[in-house]
Amino acid sequence: MLDLSPDWGVILTHFAPELILVIGALGLLSYDLYVRGKDGLQPWITLGVLLAAALATGWLYTMDPAEVFEGRSAGEVFRSGAFLSDSFTHFFRLMSVLTAGLVTLSGIAYMRGKTAFKGEFYAFVLFAALAMNLMAGANDLIVIALGIEFLSLVSYILTGYIREDRLSIEGGLKYFLYGSITSAAMLFGLTYLYGIAGSTSLPVIAEAVRQPENLVVTHLSTFIVPAALFLVLAGIGFKVAIAPFHQWSPDAYQGAPTPVTAFLSVGPKAAGFAVMMRLFITVFGTPELSATWLGVLGALAGLTMILGNVAALTQSDVKRMMAYSSIAQAGYMLVGIAAFGGTALMGTTPLGAVLFFILAYLFTNLGAFAVIIAVDRLTGSSSVSAFAGLSKRSPFLAIALTIFFLSLIGIPPLSGFFGKFAVFGAAVASDMFGLAVVGVLTGVVSAVYYFQIVKTMYFGDPAEGGALRPSPGVVFVVATALVMTLIIGLVPQPFIEIANQAVTALEPIAGSMVAR
Amino acid sequence: MTENWAFVAIFALLSLSIPLIALGMSWALRPKRPGAIKQSTYECGLETVGETWVQFKVQYYLFALIFVLFDVETIFLYPWAVAYGKLGLFALGEMFVFLGILAVGLIYAWRKGALEWV
Repeated sequence: MLDLSPDWGVILTHFAPELILVIGALGLLSYDLYVRGKDGLQPWITLGVLLAAALATGWLYTMDPAEVFEGRSAGEVFRSGAFLSDSFTHFFRLMSVLTAGLVTLSGIAYMRGKTAFKGEFYAFVLFAALAMNLMAGANDLIVIALGIEFLSLVSYILTGYIREDRLSIEGGLKYFLYGSITSAAMLFGLTYLYGIAGSTSLPVIAEAVRQPENLVVTHLSTFIVPAALFLVLAGIGFKVAIAPFHQWSPDAYQGAPTPVTAFLSVGPKAAGFAVMMRLFITVFGTPELSATWLGVLGALAGLTMILGNVAALTQSDVKRMMAYSSIAQAGYMLVGIAAFGGTALMGTTPLGAVLFFILAYLFTNLGAFAVIIAVDRLTGSSSVSAFAGLSKRSPFLAIALTIFFLSLIGIPPLSGFFGKFAVFGAAVASDMFGLAVVGVLTGVVSAVYYFQIVKTMYFGDPAEGGALRPSPGVVFVVATALVMTLIIGLVPQPFIEIANQAVTALEPIAGSMVAR
Repeated sequence: MTENWAFVAIFALLSLSIPLIALGMSWALRPKRPGAIKQSTYECGLETVGETWVQFKVQYYLFALIFVLFDVETIFLYPWAVAYGKLGLFALGEMFVFLGILAVGLIYAWRKGALEWV
């Protein structure tokens, strides 16, 4: 029965980041309507709202759940709720705020003069962050569906944002058409999950599938669960761009305004993996149940790594290349999820390894995209030839992009290495040698396409010689990303602990429901 | 089990045959005197102009979108009104949040000139 006398203070407290984002986004829309003339303030308002959301999340992080709920743990109070505010959600709340903040900063100069709808652009960035938060905390099929749909709609609009640009429109339309179909498939799968369990609440579904004799539909459940999960995987796989649901991504990445491309390469991926982990691990994470989907997930991970890395070899547009590169990175993350049953390695649990990977990937990829944003803005092109001679035109951007690429390949002192090491280590620890071998080999292949760009930057002849001066926002983002890439690589331990702590919130829900 | 399906089959046959018989009989019995006026397209009693493949003003589309917004709002208000007695203050607050967000949308459309016919 619906509990209608909840403690409002507690609930509003735990919704603080989301409330701040909603009010901020609506406020930004209104500001844009009524305050004319003061052009240029919108990105700073956006950053202020994001900072407030980050502070609220940090405050929730430090809060001891047991104290807040007078002896009852946060898990007990919120377990039956539609939205969970646990350390797993907090982690992804920080991811969404970081992504939106870095994208905003690196995109200020790029978006100036590109569109007449400037205030809306930043409002959409805030809405995207909100949608990611909702996905991360979703504990109910309806919230999952709405969260994914919300983020998708915002992404379609942002992709096709520049109406005068045919590529932008084309990218947005392809993204939209592809997304509609996968959304439909996912909703179809969700209805089956609802159908067998009689509830949309994840804990109730978890309870039901652990006791097959209590299911609403018993005689078909062995067939329905894998089928439903595969359909759901299509919807989530579309959001995180894993093969074979990736076809939209090169076109959308190429057509979208470059700051939006940067957002697409990190934001929806992180949120999609959050949903995937919450749904697949907490509900279907027991050894018997996971046998129905682990094989499929492992196969998709292998396919994604191979396809992403091989297809990236022949791209002549850097944004397209980064699209395939981020498909490959999604494949690495998927390896960690497929290996979730494995033992701890180097202090990380397999799922902790995935979160650590996402954290490292966030800074590295957004840093690389900040460089691409600057080059795209200053030369008017994102083709590989636009990067020719970058080492002479802007040594800072060239060396930064080289370091980001080295991290994406997985060269030791950088953050990307530890991400890959943790994920593949988990795969080896759970006897998935095949996936680890594919991952390492395709990682070698990836070095080829990253180094093609590096070669062009250092040995190519620039079409024109003038020095490129990146905007202050880009310089700030590149510097931050560089520092974080080095720090996470050199001192990974604190970040591993953050990731592990976030994942502990995820696992007991599965563990306490049924003895493994 | 199979008996139940037999009912479905019988009803399917019946429901198919009734309109077929009705239409067929009227076709067989009616007098046939076609004329130019009889064969013209009927549209609100006015004579049709031009072809069916014409371009519509894009503003119809904008109006339709705003209409859908308020249509959904109305649909959402009905169950709320029915369940209001049980939900109490909680529902009142919830509905005002919902209406507030919708109002921002309307004000946005208004200020952007979406409600003006140009």
